[in-house]
Amino acid sequence: MRFESSRMERPEDSARVVGVSVCDSAPLLWRVEDLRSVRRRGLVGALLGSLPRSPRQNCRMGRPLLLLPEEERLLGESRTAAAALPAPRQDGAQLELRVRRHEEEQQRSFEEQSVLALEDRKSSLLCAMTSPDTGSPPEAGAMDESLQRRLEDLDRSFVFPRSALGVQLSTARAGLSYCPEARAFLQAEWPIRGGQNGLSRDTKYQVFRDLRGRGFCLTSAGKFGGDFLVYPGDPLRFHAHFIAVCLAADEAVGLLDVLAVARLGSNVKKTVLLCSPAEDGAVTYTSLQWSGMV
Amino acid sequence: MADQNKAEIDGKFYSEILSPSELFAARSRSHKLPVKGQKDFIPDGSEEQRRRLDQSLSEHWSLISEERVERLGNLVKAKWIPAERIVELQSPAGKFWQTMGFSANGKQLLQPEEALYLMECGNLQVFSQDLPLSIQDGYESFLSSSSVSLQQYQVFGHLKRLGFVVHRFDPSLEPSCYVRQLNLPPSRDRAARQQKRKRSPSPGTTSRSVDQSATRPEHQDSSSADRMEEEEVQEGHRDLSEGHLSSTSSAGPAGRGRSWWQTDTPQDQSDGSAGSSHTHADRRPSFALFPDLGSKERLSSALLPPDPSLLPGGLEVGTCDVASWRKKINLREVKMSSKEREREEDRSRRRWDVNRDRQVLRCRNWAEYRELLSRRERRSRGRQEHLWNHEVTPLHDPRQPISTEELLEKITVTQSTNLLEGASSIKEWDEWRICFSVYQPDTVADFRKSSPGKPYARVCVCSFDGPVPDLRAVKLLTFQSGDVPVVFAVVDCGDLSFYTFKDFQLPTDVYP
Repeated sequence: MRFESSRMERPEDSARVVGVSVCDSAPLLWRVEDLRSVRRRGLVGALLGSLPRSPRQNCRMGRPLLLLPEEERLLGESRTAAAALPAPRQDGAQLELRVRRHEEEQQRSFEEQSVLALEDRKSSLLCAMTSPDTGSPPEAGAMDESLQRRLEDLDRSFVFPRSALGVQLSTARAGLSYCPEARAFLQAEWPIRGGQNGLSRDTKYQVFRDLRGRGFCLTSAGKFGGDFLVYPGDPLRFHAHFIAVCLAADEAVGLLDVLAVARLGSNVKKTVLLCSPAEDGAVTYTSLQWSGMV
Repeated sequence: MADQNKAEIDGKFYSEILSPSELFAARSRSHKLPVKGQKDFIPDGSEEQRRRLDQSLSEHWSLISEERVERLGNLVKAKWIPAERIVELQSPAGKFWQTMGFSANGKQLLQPEEALYLMECGNLQVFSQDLPLSIQDGYESFLSSSSVSLQQYQVFGHLKRLGFVVHRFDPSLEPSCYVRQLNLPPSRDRAARQQKRKRSPSPGTTSRSVDQSATRPEHQDSSSADRMEEEEVQEGHRDLSEGHLSSTSSAGPAGRGRSWWQTDTPQDQSDGSAGSSHTHADRRPSFALFPDLGSKERLSSALLPPDPSLLPGGLEVGTCDVASWRKKINLREVKMSSKEREREEDRSRRRWDVNRDRQVLRCRNWAEYRELLSRRERRSRGRQEHLWNHEVTPLHDPRQPISTEELLEKITVTQSTNLLEGASSIKEWDEWRICFSVYQPDTVADFRKSSPGKPYARVCVCSFDGPVPDLRAVKLLTFQSGDVPVVFAVVDCGDLSFYTFKDFQLPTDVYP
């Protein structure tokens, strides 16, 4: 058996609480700061949304970040995750106030952007007027005058159309990240997810926690026929070394299943790791390697 | 209100809102994605590696944290209506209207998953209670396990980003299995269909062609066909008078052997009245052995009408003139050498003509004939008699000729079946259902929402956590989908895999 024991280079942050919002009983993270702090702890998750810069492709995705059930549980146990506040329900006077504030903000933004647009136009005009004249000696007086006139015209006639206003489509909802009291209810309210029974969930979690403790990064590995893909470092920089298959210590596994998963592993050039947590919390690892008879 | 202010002071209020100057500066953003470099194999603690990791991560964060900024003129305004779980457009739709959305009550509406996808693309701004919704609000309000679940939205978004046209699947719009089974051609005239049948019926029998079996419930058609057969037979009604006479001769007890053939010469007729039938029975074929229309013997050219007691009530069938048929066969004289002729004569001498078999002639009806056959069979088996006496008998008598294919069919243990067998009787249940119909991306230019055509595939969304579809589920979904393949989109925490089951027939090497 061989163990990798490299550690993550970055020092871990002192517990910063992230706000986990639940969508259709799935734990999602929306805020960049939350994503950053979770990544610093070595939890990778999976990005689900379109990338704002180029939304019509599937290679690089954007927020939200979906947490694995094991990641969510790990955060919960270390008290670094809290249920994010749901959208505040408002009506009547509060709503009117918010609507008015939104409209005022948009108006202010429009005015500012008009000013910026005018300045931008002026500066581009200046560039256009001055650069072609570097060759011939400029008649400073005359140049300045016509320039001045053009600039004044611009001041008078420039109109920044409303349709050109830049508007932000927020990804995350602005507001309080979490309510302090919500932390206490975190564990109790965690909805039971998925069709897995409690035992297999616990097995997976113990393996996850152990591997994470050793410095590996883990992501889901359904496509590879296993439970986790194990990376020696950040998945952005390294290839996965192992496919971890979690088995309870007393679970019987058929020989054909072992063969199938070993074949799969050798086809994708990753080592298959059979992981079984023991009673005392320590996890036993068995790696499979396909060797010939010769 | 007070609490909120306090929180703001505490610094726990979080927002990613851009300032107007940032919004303005967003015009000149690049739209290119950074290229993902080569990955390393193992962390070796080197500075080089650390630097590269930092660079990858900072690129990653800058992409992730970028907010969507759009020109107000490019955004379509819409309103979320929670009661109906639908998004209503409030300004004219853009290019997306060609493949997404639907009209109702004079308004342009979008399904929640379509609206959320357009929000993520930066084409749509949805308001709820006059306030713009963030993407997070959209996810939390539009997606739920009762309408469109998060997993289904992941599949929807993935396929839309690839360019497919994805619509919700509505099982009620699919033609039912019965309609598909009938496979009716686009409606043609009755007359045309009758024309087809006119060519096929054979005289003296009620025609039951295969076409008719599907439309058995249509009584009108079959009766009209009967009428036509009558007409056909009437055509052959050349010698009416002779027909009459022969019918009287055959009017005796049904069991009596009667001839198929109408007697040629009037002498035969006049020979006897009631007695003629007996002599006919002696000389001519018996109770029901079919006339050999192809025989070279010089037989009469007309078939007698069938025994009226055998016909359904009220039907009058005359003689059938087969002269025209017989003229069409045996047209060419086969030229044989003398040796072949001898061989042929030999064979014909030895050939057993069932019509001349005395024992067969003695049978008065089918039951007796069957008994005779079974008696003969028993005798012919001889030594293996004991094998056939019990309940369990051999599958096949080796003396009987049989083709290899039929023999193999006899000894197969299981029957081959296809995927759709028995599928129509499976009741639907909630666990497995088709979510979306997917259409090819290259048809987007001339895609019409009102007549989308045949989908490329139908998608059923499931997850690696859940059960694998069993045969029952696969049959049900294939049946519901008709002739469009069903694809299972399996969601695994952000990753999607697509699987499909194809029906497959084992090749057979045996030809009859």
